[in-house]
Amino acid sequence: MAHATLRTRPLLGLGLGLLMTVLAGCGQSLPDHSADELRGRGDIAGGIRFSWWGSASRNDRTNAVADLFEAEHPGVEVRREAADFGNYFKRLNVQGAGRNMPCVTQLQARTLGDFTARDALLPLDPMIESGAIDVSDIPEAVLDTGRGEDGRLYMLPTGAAYDALMVNETLAEEAGVALPEPGYDWDDYVTFLRDAAEGLPDGIPATALRGGLPNFFIAYVQGLGEHMFDGNQLGFSRELLVEYWEMWEEIRAEGLANSPAANAEEPPSPEASYVASGDVLSDNRPGNALTPIQGTLDGQGEGQRMTSLPLPSGPAGQGNVLITSGLSIPRNCANVPTAAAFLDFWANDPRSGDTYASDNGAVTNTELLRRQLDDPELPDLKKRELALYQRIVADDPSIVLYPPGYLAVFESAFTRAYEDVAFGNQTVPEAVDTFFAEANDGLAR
Amino acid sequence: MRQHDPGAAGTQVTAGPPATPRDRRDRSRDRRAGRRAAADNRAAYAFLTPWLIGMLVFTIGPMLFSLYLAFTRYDLSSAPEWVGLANFERMFTTDPRYFDSVKVTLTYVAWSVPLLLAVSLGLALLLNRGMRFLTGYRALFYMPSLIGGSVAVAALWRQIFGEEGIVNKALALVGIEHTSWVGDPNSALHTIVILQVWTFGSAMVIFLAGLRQIPRELYDAASVDGAGALRRFRSVTLPMLSPLVLFNLLLSVVNAFQAFTSAYVVSNGTGGPSDSTLFYTLYLYEQGFAQLNMGYAAAMAWVLVLGLALFTGFLFLSSRYWVHYGDER
Repeated sequence: MAHATLRTRPLLGLGLGLLMTVLAGCGQSLPDHSADELRGRGDIAGGIRFSWWGSASRNDRTNAVADLFEAEHPGVEVRREAADFGNYFKRLNVQGAGRNMPCVTQLQARTLGDFTARDALLPLDPMIESGAIDVSDIPEAVLDTGRGEDGRLYMLPTGAAYDALMVNETLAEEAGVALPEPGYDWDDYVTFLRDAAEGLPDGIPATALRGGLPNFFIAYVQGLGEHMFDGNQLGFSRELLVEYWEMWEEIRAEGLANSPAANAEEPPSPEASYVASGDVLSDNRPGNALTPIQGTLDGQGEGQRMTSLPLPSGPAGQGNVLITSGLSIPRNCANVPTAAAFLDFWANDPRSGDTYASDNGAVTNTELLRRQLDDPELPDLKKRELALYQRIVADDPSIVLYPPGYLAVFESAFTRAYEDVAFGNQTVPEAVDTFFAEANDGLAR
Repeated sequence: MRQHDPGAAGTQVTAGPPATPRDRRDRSRDRRAGRRAAADNRAAYAFLTPWLIGMLVFTIGPMLFSLYLAFTRYDLSSAPEWVGLANFERMFTTDPRYFDSVKVTLTYVAWSVPLLLAVSLGLALLLNRGMRFLTGYRALFYMPSLIGGSVAVAALWRQIFGEEGIVNKALALVGIEHTSWVGDPNSALHTIVILQVWTFGSAMVIFLAGLRQIPRELYDAASVDGAGALRRFRSVTLPMLSPLVLFNLLLSVVNAFQAFTSAYVVSNGTGGPSDSTLFYTLYLYEQGFAQLNMGYAAAMAWVLVLGLALFTGFLFLSSRYWVHYGDER
């Protein structure tokens, strides 16, 4: 036995040594940035990685902008990583754990808190002060959506999306119902659904069942002048959510919405949604989905037209909030000057704006937006989408500061709790209690 | 035969009879054999090293690390913080979704495993009757096993059992109306069970091979004794196949407990509708990679490992009462 021990000891030592080496190597060390690098100053050279989410058509546009940047800076290589929205952030979480996030990382204001809470991003303010990144053409209110809790800018907002009420104009006309007037409120919305339902053909409900859609609820809360969050806790009352879900249960009970089962199996992409296939009259969808939704409708060959309206307002004003997406530079980036140059190019270069054409929300640079609106080549539908964005921005929309875990905890729990109501597993007050417990517990972690 | 004792040479100090020339030759031969054995061992370790490194780095290491993480709070970015048994306490006392995921998984195992075994055995019996084009049928039936776990087939399943899918269209022909099977919490899990049962091919091939090994004389003897088809199946086929039933049962149980892809695709990664397809592995994935509770996810993984070990251990223990290896006295 003594011999066996003596023989296995070196092997055990070797194994443990290897294990420690591997575990130690799992996370890369952070680069030691110089003061100039932190200000985005230095050679624009070498390679950077760039990641974003989106469909195939967005990938084409994004690649084209990256190609333009490479042509502008010979010798620079932009290595690209794309994924669909759902998987993008899961991959980013793993990359963040290994301090391996791409030098230019696309984020959304709703997910920014996940990364600022982990101190994974470089503040962009010093790069703006040095002139490496120009933000003079981005409205201050829009720029603020890229700030962390400490007030520093961690994401340069490049596209501003909003949720809109998509309405099939053709079906509404056939049903003999007028579209809601500007400034319409939630009562007007329900009245519109009721009136439409009377004239719609059998099997086409007036709306998709959206009681579990967080963005619709955010509009309800904003319209009442309430707060979504209070730090890392829910900022609205239980009663408010009970009232909201009871309104949706009324809509469902009256047969104004599609069934929860049909709703549960609906594909997530706007172009594959029921409103896009003409199977429901209206739906809440991202405003920048107007063009792809109309594309699907066109494919049906029935000549139906889609239009988009702001979400319902409330006593405190409009319900719409801006959902910005933008670009960030993580702390692990070893080529900050080139990353900063890429951000500046993306946000300000007219060729970049024209090429990307507000694919992920209206371009936040007002000069680039004006160019697109003046462009006779830009499709009319896209111009309507951008015009609605201008209308929403003009009304000074509220800014929601999303806590870390918003997407994974809040959205998931909210949708599930309403599903429980719609499928009859819980009453509204029970589901509200379940949701509050789960969301507050999850957000506090 | 003398046992080689590598420690004996040169260390023996006790008094004894003087060594004869034959003893010295024997010792010399033993030393040479010992050196050869040591050289063989070194060569074996050298050849094993790549596997050992892989095993340590990619299996044992991560497993030990995850065991450590199970007792920590770890969000993937900051250092793990030791919390003792808090993750297990939360799992068993304050997390209702954990119990939902256990219930969904057990329901899935309880339905899919017996059904899969019954279908695969039934088809193996059918194919064993000596039909033409047997090889073709066997390949055809095996194909779902190759592709059944894929994302593409799960996506196809979503279409087939959707509100406008072919299942509802077929039912409509006979006057039955049903909403979406994958969108209804009462039926969503069963569509995934059917998908799992559809991958009966590999179990069927194993059963078919086993059926071919059963001696014909046993059936002849049973027939002579007056046994009918059912009795022959119960008293000859099943006992003779029981080792393969155990084998397929173990594989199916382990696979079913770890099912992930089909539920992920069918529910768009949510475990919905209304958590009706929230498999254990799906919830574990959500906790680890979406909610970044990696410590909790690691604790869940270890509970699954222990649960599976207990379950398979029980199957092995019970097998002595129902598995016949043909060598019993």
